Amino acid sequence: MRLRAEYAVGPDHRFLANLDMMHVMERALRRADVPYRLSEGFNPHIRISMGTVLPVGIWGKQEFFDLELAAMDLDTFMKRMNRVLPPGIEVKACRSLGTGAPALMNSINAAEYAFRVGRSPAEVEPLLAEIMRLEEIIVPSRGKKKDVNKDLRPGLFALKVEDQGDGAVIRALVSVNEPLNIRFDEMLDLLTGFGISRDTILDFWREGHFIKRGERLLSPLLTP
Amino acid sequence: MKDKLFRDILPRVTKPIRYVGAELNAIRKNWSQSQVKMALAFPDVYEIGMAHIGSKILYGLVNEESPHLVERVFTPWPDMEQVMREEGVQLYSLESFTPLERFDVIGFSLQYELSITNVLNMLDLAGIPLLASHRREGHPLIIGGGPVAFNPEPFADFFDALLIGEGEELLLEFLSCLHDNRERGRQERLTRTAALEGVYVPSGYRVDYKPDGRLADMKPVSTAYPAMVRKRLVADLDTAYYPAQPIVPYMEIVHDRAVLEVMRGCQRACRFCHAGTVYRPVRERSVAVLKEQADAQLKSTGYDEISLASLSTLDYSGVSELVRDLVRTYGERGIGVSLPSLRVDAFSIELANEVRKVRKTTLTLAPEAGTQRLRDVINKNVTDEDLFKAVEAAFSSGWNSVKLYFMLGLPTETEADLDGVLALLARVKAIGQQHSRRLVEIRASLACFVPKAHTPFQWSPQNTISQLEEKRRYLTRRKIKNIKLSFHNSRTSMLEGVMARGDRRLNQVILRAWQKGCKFDGWTEHFNYDRWMEAFRECDMDPEFYVYRQRDYDELLPWDFIDTGVYKAYLSQEDQLADAALTTADCRQAGCLDCGICPDFGVSLDVKEGKADATAG
Repeated sequence: MRLRAEYAVGPDHRFLANLDMMHVMERALRRADVPYRLSEGFNPHIRISMGTVLPVGIWGKQEFFDLELAAMDLDTFMKRMNRVLPPGIEVKACRSLGTGAPALMNSINAAEYAFRVGRSPAEVEPLLAEIMRLEEIIVPSRGKKKDVNKDLRPGLFALKVEDQGDGAVIRALVSVNEPLNIRFDEMLDLLTGFGISRDTILDFWREGHFIKRGERLLSPLLTP
Repeated sequence: MKDKLFRDILPRVTKPIRYVGAELNAIRKNWSQSQVKMALAFPDVYEIGMAHIGSKILYGLVNEESPHLVERVFTPWPDMEQVMREEGVQLYSLESFTPLERFDVIGFSLQYELSITNVLNMLDLAGIPLLASHRREGHPLIIGGGPVAFNPEPFADFFDALLIGEGEELLLEFLSCLHDNRERGRQERLTRTAALEGVYVPSGYRVDYKPDGRLADMKPVSTAYPAMVRKRLVADLDTAYYPAQPIVPYMEIVHDRAVLEVMRGCQRACRFCHAGTVYRPVRERSVAVLKEQADAQLKSTGYDEISLASLSTLDYSGVSELVRDLVRTYGERGIGVSLPSLRVDAFSIELANEVRKVRKTTLTLAPEAGTQRLRDVINKNVTDEDLFKAVEAAFSSGWNSVKLYFMLGLPTETEADLDGVLALLARVKAIGQQHSRRLVEIRASLACFVPKAHTPFQWSPQNTISQLEEKRRYLTRRKIKNIKLSFHNSRTSMLEGVMARGDRRLNQVILRAWQKGCKFDGWTEHFNYDRWMEAFRECDMDPEFYVYRQRDYDELLPWDFIDTGVYKAYLSQEDQLADAALTTADCRQAGCLDCGICPDFGVSLDVKEGKADATAG
């Protein structure tokens, strides 16, 4: 069977790289005695696909992987995994997938980043409004296509601030993967460039991932 | 501390995961309820230090089986060091983010001579005086142990005490002794520990030199310190502690796998080998115990590979049975077995083929020298025929790539021996081509021979840098097509040689070199030979004195006070046999060679699974 799992990575694990996270999951699968499937060949590996890649330095509340395994009860899977995962990393939910379901990378197209700032929402609000009024936001591309400029503005779906009593949380809903990928560090630089200085940003994380269809935001877990 | 790290420090450095701890199976013991608090310090980066088996053993042993506590610390990479210095962050332990100066003891693992500048750098980052004589009552005790500590003199001024030999029993005794005497002053506590067998307290000894620079005398300053410091060893590996739940790092480390220690020591008696003397005698672990340990480790870690470690795993008497059992038990789940190095014979290849059923490993063989004569000199009991049979077995069973290890600058080496290396490589290539339709990949790694203390070659001159460079040019000029040669840095080896057979006067040079910015000297990108030579000049010291001269058998050597259990007379006899290119047999087959270890330490060769098949070759 094919299984899709949603997991959370706590703040203490924010410095894990993607390969580290894959090893965490693979080792947990072995410790939990999950009947995972192996690839063929001299170098067999577990058929796991890390659908989302958490950048080094941020933590995430809703990440995903897909796994191929022999039939297994979903509750048992979650219980066994959560017994062996390091504290702070937890499988939150899972479901079985049809064999033809598209890979995570090909269906997730939006993500929400969150920034906790030590300033009042009233101070932050106008700065965010200023960003949203821009017609284009041209930045040099940092990914594989170096020396190319890209426009972030079409991928900036929403930018709002939430009152949290002792401060505020900025939430940015952005486009990810194809056709336009807004990186976390690009978002961070955008905010600091508009007067939200780095030392007032107390924490940041990725709130979640979505499959955006028009204005509707669907969960990757519930949408095959 | 942790908040500052996570917010202001770690986002600015490469590989921040090195500095955060909290790995699976890490042990965070209650600070106030523990007796002695010790930081286990490894003077290299996290991904190197976390692979060290000895540290895994001591970490688990102290935390699980004693009232004391151990937390880990590694050398910060220079980028991290810079940010720490800028921000005024002191070196801290990974378990509780406690600054090192708050520990009672900091214990350094000394695996490599040139990591000493990292020791100094770590002490400095911890705000602790580098010289033992500058430390006061409230400072932690700085101790060291590991293979390098068998010649502790070049580092004596930096350490309050050095623990000689295998640490399993000694470290616990040492920590408990400190606890029992906690009301006493610093020097008095140290003097008490000096009564424990295996503890060397450098401040308890006076050293005098002859006008020509050789050692004249080394004596304890009082009867509280023993004239000879005797190494400690574990008598039975089956009952010795071994971690069932080792830490599983998040980042990829070298040797990222579960590890079984199948045996300690090696009976082959290669004359160049330091470990071969200091870890005598051979002690094996039984297959039944190893199988339990494999099961426990795999369950607690989730690793996909298990490695059989020792100085010469193919000589372990239970190796066939163990390998076959592990492959049978875990192979289906994609868990592989790996053999760190292979013996040069067909049996090894046969066994390696079993292992390859699960996972491909690189075939690595170490003939060490190019001619039979020179292999006899070093007592590497391998014949050309062994080697060619091994290579033939490998190529005919589908291997396509072989790596061969040699040493340059061995005693009595001539041009004929260099030609021998080339001839041997050509022959290996020819055998490969007979069996493979593809081009076979052959690589040779040529290390520079460094004579080490406590070996039969401890009196021998090391080849000079220019001799080694000449040999390198000789070989490169005659390079064979499609065979890759790689050479170790002859300057690094020279400095390593100075430390390996140095005396107490080197402490000032090391201190000076560190002050001039030397660190990570084992890393090519950081090693700065010229800076080291400046340090020698500024201290009015001649490094060549330690490496290039032939010592007499009756010279008092700086490490003579360390009792490894092997007689000096045995070493000199072996050196004379080497000179005549005469070999010495393996004591497992030929019987006792009277090296001294077994009767002196009341131990014996401990072969758990009988002599039979593994050593039949």
